[in-house]
Amino acid sequence: MQLESETRLAKAAHTRRQLMAASCALLGAAAARGQEARVAPADSGLLENWSVDSALAYYHEDGRIQAIEPVVNIAKLFADGQALNFNVTFDSLTGSSPNGALTSRSAQTFASPSGKSSHAYTTAPGQLPVDPHYQDDRIAVGGNWTLPVTRVDQLSVGAKLSDEHDFFSVTLDASIAHDFNEKNTTLSLGISEEFDSLQPIGGAPVPGSDYALFEKTGHKSKNGVGALLGVTQVITRNWVSEFNVSVDRFKGYLNDPYKITSIIDSAGNTTGYEFESRPDQRTRKSAYWENRVALGGQVSTGLSLRYMRDDWGVRSDTAQLHLRWSFSNRERYVEPTFRWYRQTAANFYTPFILNTEALTTAYEASDSRLGAFHALTYGLKYAQKLPGLGGREESEFSVRVEYYQQTFNVRTPTPAALQGLDLYPGLKAALVQVGWRF
Amino acid sequence: MTFKQVSILCLLSSTVISSGCASLGVKPWQRDVLAREDMRLDANPLDAAIDDHMYFSKEASSGGRSFAGGGCGCN
Amino acid sequence: MADKASNAPDEALSLEPRGEDLLAICFTAMASPCEVLLPSTTAPTAALELGTLVAQEAWRVEKKFSRYRSDSVTAWIHENRGTAIEVDRETASLIDFAGQCFELSGGLFDVTSGVLRYAWKFDGSDRIPERAAVARLLPRVGFNKLQWRSPRLLLPDGMELDFGGIGKEYAVDRAYDSLAVRCSAPFLINFGGDLRANRSPPHGPWQVGIERPDTDRRATMILDLNHGALATSGDSRRFLLKDGVRYGHILDPRTGWPILHSPRSVTVAASSCTEAGLLSTLALLQGARAREFLEEHGVRYWLLQ
Repeated sequence: MQLESETRLAKAAHTRRQLMAASCALLGAAAARGQEARVAPADSGLLENWSVDSALAYYHEDGRIQAIEPVVNIAKLFADGQALNFNVTFDSLTGSSPNGALTSRSAQTFASPSGKSSHAYTTAPGQLPVDPHYQDDRIAVGGNWTLPVTRVDQLSVGAKLSDEHDFFSVTLDASIAHDFNEKNTTLSLGISEEFDSLQPIGGAPVPGSDYALFEKTGHKSKNGVGALLGVTQVITRNWVSEFNVSVDRFKGYLNDPYKITSIIDSAGNTTGYEFESRPDQRTRKSAYWENRVALGGQVSTGLSLRYMRDDWGVRSDTAQLHLRWSFSNRERYVEPTFRWYRQTAANFYTPFILNTEALTTAYEASDSRLGAFHALTYGLKYAQKLPGLGGREESEFSVRVEYYQQTFNVRTPTPAALQGLDLYPGLKAALVQVGWRF
Repeated sequence: MTFKQVSILCLLSSTVISSGCASLGVKPWQRDVLAREDMRLDANPLDAAIDDHMYFSKEASSGGRSFAGGGCGCN
Repeated sequence: MADKASNAPDEALSLEPRGEDLLAICFTAMASPCEVLLPSTTAPTAALELGTLVAQEAWRVEKKFSRYRSDSVTAWIHENRGTAIEVDRETASLIDFAGQCFELSGGLFDVTSGVLRYAWKFDGSDRIPERAAVARLLPRVGFNKLQWRSPRLLLPDGMELDFGGIGKEYAVDRAYDSLAVRCSAPFLINFGGDLRANRSPPHGPWQVGIERPDTDRRATMILDLNHGALATSGDSRRFLLKDGVRYGHILDPRTGWPILHSPRSVTVAASSCTEAGLLSTLALLQGARAREFLEEHGVRYWLLQ
């Protein structure tokens, strides 16, 4: 392979010389005086046109939350390699959200987080308790600036703001990347810092306190810092790979202020509830490996793997696979995707508390997101290039659907009295998205 | 394997990869396939962002490809 | 070259300032806007004189080799198909050059491929010709079918010679040479995007805008040109679209059908405009391998997919 390309190169150099000689012969002696062109991209100069990438997604969970999320991202590239990027996301959620309590054989009544009597709700026997008045609108803006520092080094800084009625977040990040080995290898290092401010409706509950007492305190906050080290490597002409290790640590009020845990007796009756209580620190580490492989001119595939563990006892594995099939000179493509995910439960996860047990740990939470489950996602995307509108280059229109399903694996033995009830129904959700890029 | 073992193994592999690079990688004129739109590691950034948001609000893990912070109140 | 019905090119020159440091002498030739850029310190009479030199060379090459003019050398060669004729030195050099390009490109660059336009009309519609119609024209294509021994040429019946593929770039170089002996000031000659400069003006390099480099297809790139030539070959404006397949107007003379998957445009930098134009055309003829071809040959290029 090496020898073949060297021979090709030698042949090409010979051909080039012959072409130059032919031009000289045509143009005469004057041409022989001409030197090689001296030309380079200009150092500065704003390029025309922003490129815009937009999408509208609709998310729907079976019997639970639904959400609409429009996103717009605009980018501008400068001749010297600098790049600017702005994005705006808006999402609006409504529906029913599980409050963490356990299904019971009797009806259960809950106060709304705000304490308003009109928003109190009752759950029928045998049903999973959900708050039917869940509503949240969020707006987020972000920006990023990339600056080539040398021919092989690049600096990138970014900021993000997100605002909802009960949560406000600011994130700052910076990273540097260094190319070497003829740009076959890139090493990156990045750090990020996040500041979150929580103003839960009705106040933030004292962790672990009795639900009926409704002890609330003022607003809370949490901060996180993260670091990421990555290597991107071109392996062959058709295969590029990226490997990242990252760590992050969050400190502060890490509880979900709206979630409660059921306290039950030996007969399976719910005797009370308490607000969840999580540690005020969480450290997560992850290793991530992504690959893109071209299988010929029309097809490419990607596989990524991620391993994560944190000091709450959660460990997770993720595998994602996609295949892109392009048609019509790459003007259209179809892309099926598949994702497999599995996580173990946090140490202090418990779907309920037995009132006969002394509390063995200081912490407890029954939020299903901290439980043990596996999830599968099946997706399909179709995209097509459209001729340019109004003098602009062509654009791309796409439509994507995804089906996401969580299945729970709870180890805690079910109390005899509650056998037969579907205590951990899992989750089924669908996503439909249309996109337009120009 | 513990996280520590996994990441040491992977960092070692990447060191080997980086130092053994005379045989790994392509010449500048062989980057035609890599320049294709579908071969970019961030080929569909908006899809990834929407998916990441969905997974962040339903699972205990986030990040990997980039920073793990969610920046929203959904978890 | 000249895509016009009339025989008399519009022989008018205009003088206009270009920013603070340059002035331009503008005219039309070979159906393209042409200009000569000189420092603004040049006296208007001198500028017009130099501009006229360039314009006259452009019109001379156009009149001599245009296949649309009844008084061109090309027309005369076509009138004398089937008989041996003796061509002048300049035409002989061009035919020699065309022959060398034919050999070096393995038959992809072929000045006898013009007859294929009788089957292919690139008007943006979906009317692609029938295989039989193209096949009927193929026997009339092939530089190797000419009997050429400089300066004697025998063009067989049914064949045509078309210098349109290299004419504009050749004109730039000829005009450059005639200006360079008369003018020691920095200048840039630009015939519709094929250009060449002798050296930078005092205020800095010549700033040339190229539409859409390969880094971002929606952006314009500015190049700083000190000296040398740039030529662009492109495929974007003339094509046919049928069943989702795009048939560009660059045809493979060996099959009579368009080269598939070529980039939309290629811009090449070289010491002469002829060489740059040839390399950009050859790159387009490589289809999907255009970028590899340019890299292998060590060419400075900018490519738009």
